[in-house]
Amino acid sequence: MSDASVFDDLPGDLMIWVLIVSELLVFGAGLAAFLAVRASDPAGFGAAQDALYRTGAGVNTVVLVTSGALAAWALRLREDAQRGPARLALVAAALLGVVFLLIKGFDYAGKAAAGITWDTHPFFTFYYLLTGFHAAHVVAGVLVLLLVAWKDTPRNIEAGAAFWHMVDLVWVILFPVLYLLR
Amino acid sequence: MIRDPLLRAWGALIGLSLGATAISLWHWPREVEAGAGMLVLSLAWLKARIILTTYLRLDAAPFWRRGFAISLGVFCLLLLGLYLLPGLL
Repeated sequence: MSDASVFDDLPGDLMIWVLIVSELLVFGAGLAAFLAVRASDPAGFGAAQDALYRTGAGVNTVVLVTSGALAAWALRLREDAQRGPARLALVAAALLGVVFLLIKGFDYAGKAAAGITWDTHPFFTFYYLLTGFHAAHVVAGVLVLLLVAWKDTPRNIEAGAAFWHMVDLVWVILFPVLYLLR
Repeated sequence: MIRDPLLRAWGALIGLSLGATAISLWHWPREVEAGAGMLVLSLAWLKARIILTTYLRLDAAPFWRRGFAISLGVFCLLLLGLYLLPGLL
C-alpha cells in the first residue's frame, strides 16, 4: 500500500500552503465585504476612489511582481548551487519590497495631508484596513527575504519566497478591486 | 519568443497589470462600464494563476493548480456579482 498523498505534490512545506490559503481567505473576506458595502453607496465609493493615487499603485504592482520574479529566480539559483547570486537576488527582492513601502508611505502621507482618514468615508475604512494589513505583510516579507538570504538553505529560500509570492498574490487581487473597479 | 518560463511569467504579469490599469483609466460609456470591470477582474484572475503556476511552482502539481484556479475563479465570480449588484438593485 502506498503512503503517497496529494499533499506530497505541493511544492515546499505543507504549512506554508496552509498559511497562503489562510491569508487568501482573510483578504478575500475583506474584499468581499468591501464590495458588499459598496453596493449600498456606489456613487460615494466611486467619488472616494477618485482620491486614490492610481499611478503609484500601478507602479507598486510592477515593483511587487518584479520582486516576486527575483525571489523565484533566487530559489532556482540556489538549487543550482549558485549561493552568491541567489543571495543577491533575495536582497534585490527585499529592496524592491522597501520601494513598495516607500511609495505606499507617500500615498498615505498624501491622504493625511488632504485630511483623508480612515473615518472620512467607509471606502477609506476598508482602504486603510486592507492596504495597511497588506503593507504589514510586506514588512514581514522583507524581513523574511533578508533572513533567508542569510540562512540560505534551499528549503529556507523556498519557504521565504513562497511567503513573498503570497504577498504578491494578495496584491494582484486587492489592487484591481480597490483601485481599478469603478 | 522568451523561453524562460519565469521571465515569460514576469512579462505576462507586467503586461496584464498595465492592461488592467489602462482599461480602468479609460473613460468608458456608462453602458459598457460593467464590461470593463468584468475584464479587470478576469485579468486579476489570470495574474493570480500565473503567480500560482510559475512563481509558486504549481505547474508541477496539476491537481492543486486546478483546485486553486477553480477556487479563485469562483471567488472572482463572487466579487463580480457584488460589483454588479448596485446596477441590479
